[in-house]
This record gives sequence, structure tokens and C-alpha cells, in this order.
Amino acid sequence: MTRRDATKEEEQGSSAIVFEGVSKRYPDGTVAVEHLDLTLPAGELTVLVGPSGCGKTTTLRMINRLENPSEGRLMIGEQDVMRIDATRLRRRIGYVMQHSGLFPHHTIADNIATVPRLLGWNKKRRRERVDELIELVGLEPSLASRYPHQLSGGQQQRVGLARALAADPPILLMDEPFAAVDPIVRHRLQQEFLDLQRRVQKTIVMVTHDIDEAMKLGDRVAIFEPGGAVAQFDTPSRLLAAPASDFVIDFIGADRELRRLALKRLDSLTLDSGLTAPFDEVVSRARSYLQQAGSGGIVVLDSDHAPLGWLGWEQLKRAGDATRLDALDLQPWRHRLYLHDNLRTALNALISAPGEVVPVVNDEGHYVGVIDRLQLTRQLV
Amino acid sequence: MNDAFSELLAGVIRWFGDPAHWSGAGSIPAHTLKHVFYMLISTVIGALIALPIGIGLGHSGRGGLLAINITNIGRAVPSFGVIIFVFLLVGYGLVPVIVALVALAIPPMVTNSYVGMREVDPAVRQASKALGMTGWQRLTRVELPIAMPLIMAGVRTSAVQVMSTATLAAYVGLGGLGRYLIDGLQLRDMAQVLVGAILVALLAIVTELLLALLQRLVTARGLRGRQGSAE
Repeated sequence: MTRRDATKEEEQGSSAIVFEGVSKRYPDGTVAVEHLDLTLPAGELTVLVGPSGCGKTTTLRMINRLENPSEGRLMIGEQDVMRIDATRLRRRIGYVMQHSGLFPHHTIADNIATVPRLLGWNKKRRRERVDELIELVGLEPSLASRYPHQLSGGQQQRVGLARALAADPPILLMDEPFAAVDPIVRHRLQQEFLDLQRRVQKTIVMVTHDIDEAMKLGDRVAIFEPGGAVAQFDTPSRLLAAPASDFVIDFIGADRELRRLALKRLDSLTLDSGLTAPFDEVVSRARSYLQQAGSGGIVVLDSDHAPLGWLGWEQLKRAGDATRLDALDLQPWRHRLYLHDNLRTALNALISAPGEVVPVVNDEGHYVGVIDRLQLTRQLV
Repeated sequence: MNDAFSELLAGVIRWFGDPAHWSGAGSIPAHTLKHVFYMLISTVIGALIALPIGIGLGHSGRGGLLAINITNIGRAVPSFGVIIFVFLLVGYGLVPVIVALVALAIPPMVTNSYVGMREVDPAVRQASKALGMTGWQRLTRVELPIAMPLIMAGVRTSAVQVMSTATLAAYVGLGGLGRYLIDGLQLRDMAQVLVGAILVALLAIVTELLLALLQRLVTARGLRGRQGSAE
């Protein structure tokens, strides 16, 4: 946990969610959740993930009392949820579901204003809030007067999120919020949602069966196993580095190392400055650079200091001494790596690279250094 | 066109043209008013019984099939039989007719309101709960408005059926447009029979149109023109 997270927790100390020995059994004998002890920290995004029927959704639904625990205690801050009136509790907790669940007979604006209306806000305040939220979730303002069936699945999901955030609840529950939209829209929504979370800083609990989504979005991830118990509850990087059981290893999948790489960005490493030459250099000089450095090739930069292409030793050997580098047949990279890319992207770029290194550029496209396979491997140790 | 038929049509036109048929106790307006009165009172009583049952069962999701089966059995009992039966029990008067017509009005309204309530998307139902609506708010602000088109369709079906069947009132000595049918048949006055039939048909059509308009008015804008369409 970073220092920023710690102060956050002090500010909103009241909205951590604590399960103390919580079980949920149904009259027919099915056990959905078995003796759950779990603390979901305030201001963080916790993802509950696991195979279907593992109790993750029941766990989520107990927080706003859509299900009542059969045993144990569930606290929000200092309050036992069973002692709070269910409808009042729910108005303080946002809820987003897989199928947006928008009211088909209400306009988008009215849908978003549902909880504010229940709380008795006046018309002016409701309208201002709706305008704010439409902007916040990235919808066109003109959609406010439309009806749900006139919107695409992705747009409906945004409205569902806006509706959940309407009364600015300290807690947000999300039940497979991105599962029903197509993969392209899903990636965009996930990305925007991460940005949004950085701005609104709520205690969020999200259920998903998609481990990629869990690792991408969660500050912490609880992996549920069949029978309603938690196999491991940890940060994504800890889950990947130190899985607690075979079940967790299986669930995370064989590409665990790749997932670990995906959690780190290039700007968190100290990059090698690499071996470079300007485009107007001559071959003989480039050859001597290479011999001094003992490298297999050189990154040629253009006048803007952007990587132009790779020049291997074999090519340099054959070329005439006085030839300018840009007159040679430079090999370009298929992928351009930015500092904000993650190490998994870097590995992908390395696999298809013409030489043993790939240049990394900053947001302006200027060369900052190179990454090679050894550096990546070192990150996994 | 044969002579008998044109004779009949001429008879009908003469019948409608006779000023004596347009005022007084046995006139067209008087019988029409009575007919509409039977229909209204039976449909309203039927609705007061059927809608709470259908809506209640649909809302709770319990016992619905049973109720629908019972009302469907009720549908199989002929209205004429009910009239005679209640007539034998209580004798002359409005009661046998209204009982029979109410019994006729109930099944479509129970079935439609039950189905209308059940067809509210479970996700929408769940959302209304999760957002913190009370049970009453969920019913009146979400489920009923969404189910309203189907509920109204049931009322419409019932009303039209009752409108046509209210002719039976004449069998037990009451008025209404059935008078013309029965009297005409007895007197072998086919023109009068046809007049009765035409008037009943017209009333049924007017009922259908008026209720279709009402159905449109009570259907929320967002729901119009999307019945049966996928999400």
C-alpha cells in the first residue's frame, strides 16, 4: 500500500467493508459462502474473482443486503449492515450490474436521477447532478432525453454507472459490469473506469469471472474457490509472485509470468541508454562504435531524435566506409514502445524486433533508451 | 344480389329511419345506454377482482400458474349457463347478468396482468431493489408502468368480450341491444335482428378503439413501439 492510500483510508475510515465469519446457506442446504473473513479497505478497488458458483456474487450482494448472511457479521465501517434499514443502506451504496437494468420507461436523465429522487433532492439539484454525471461517464449530453432502448450496450453500461454514482455513494458495488459488452468496448470501458476511479476514489467491490479483468482493475483481488471460501486475497503482483495454492496457480493460468510483466511499466525501470548513431553518420564511425561496445547492432536516430531503424553488424561490414547510415537499408521495428507501456508489451515488441534490443521513446517520440530480454527476465526474479 | 337480401336491407334502413325507434323507453339510445351500462359495471367489477389478483401474483411470482389455470377453466364455462344458474338461485334482476359478465371479464385480465408483471426484466426488477426503492415504490414506479401495456390489453379484451356478450341480458328479461335480437327472432323480424347485430358490432368496435387509445395514453413514452423487440 502506498502512502497516498494510507491517508485516503484515514479520510474515509468509515467505509471499509469487513466480513467477520460470514456464511450464507440456503434453505435447501446449498452453501454459497462458508465462514468468510475478509477486509475490503476503504478507497480501494477490490475484485472478487472465481469460477461460477463460488459465492463471489452472493458475497457482493450481502453488502447491500440483497442477500442476508445466515451467520457472522458484516460491517461497513463501524456499522453492522443488519442494523441498518435495507432501503436506506442501498441508497448509500451504488450498484452496477451486468445487464444495465435501466428502467425502460424512463429517460436516460430520469434513470440517472433515480436515487437522488428517492432521497428527495429538488429538481434543480437533480438536473445539475445529471449533467455532471453524463460528462463524467463520457456520454453525449444529447442522450439525456433518450430512452434506454435507443442506446448501444456500451452506452447503457455507462448510464448504469452514472446511475450508481448519482448520489455520490462512498461505496460502489459492481456485478460483472463489463461482461455483456463486446471486447473492444470492454477494454475502453475498463480503461475509462480506471481513470474514473482515480478521480472519484470510492470503496469499490467488483465481481468478475475474468482473471485478466481482475488483475487489470483490482488494487486487491480475492480469488474464490468452489464451496464459497477465499483461496487468496492479495494485490495482483503478490498473487502472481506468490500464489498460495495450486488452485490459485491454476486459476491465474499458465501465463502467470506474462501477467506479472503486464503489471510493470517501462518507466519503472532504469533503461539502458543503448548504442545510437545519428542518421547522417558514416559507416566507418558506426563500425568503430559497435566494436568498442561489443554490440551486435546500432539504433539509428533521425533529426528529431526518434528511432529510425536497426543496423546490424553484418550490414555495416558489407557497406562502404563513407556511406551515410540513412542510405543503407535500415530495419524498422514493428512496434513502437513508449515509456508508459508495460513490460508485457515490451516483450511482445522484442520477439519481433530485428535486433536484440528495442528502443523506447517518450510521449513526444524522442528516444530515451533500449530494453532487452535480460532486463525483462530480471524483473521476474 | 337476390330479392330476399335487398328486402332485408331495405327493412333495416326503414327500421333505423323510423323516428319511433329513436326516443322513449324501448328506443335505440335507451337500449344502447343500458347495454353500455351492463358492460361498464361488469368490466369495472371484473377489473377490481382480476387486476389485484393478476398483479399481486405477478409481482410475487408465486401461484401464478394455478391462478391462470383456474381462470382458464372459468373461461370454458358458457356465460349463458352462468346466467341461468344464478337466475335460478336469485331470480329476476340485474344480478345473474352481472355475475355472468363479471365471470367472463375476469380471465383475460388476470392472465394479462400476471404475464405483464412477470415479463418485467429481472435485471430491472433487481436494479429497482438495489437502488433502494421500497416494495411499494418498486411496484408503482417500475413494475406497474412497465406492465401497463399488457394489463391494458387484458382490460381491452375483456371489455370487448363483455360488450358482445351483454346481449344475453335480454334473455332474462332485461334491456340492452340483445332485446332486438331476441324480439326479432321471436317475431321472425330479420331486419330487427340485423339492426341488433349491427349495433352490438359497432359498440364493440368503438370500445376497442377507445380502449386502444387509452392503452396508448397510459403507456410510458419509452415503451411505445418496442413491444416484443429485443433489448
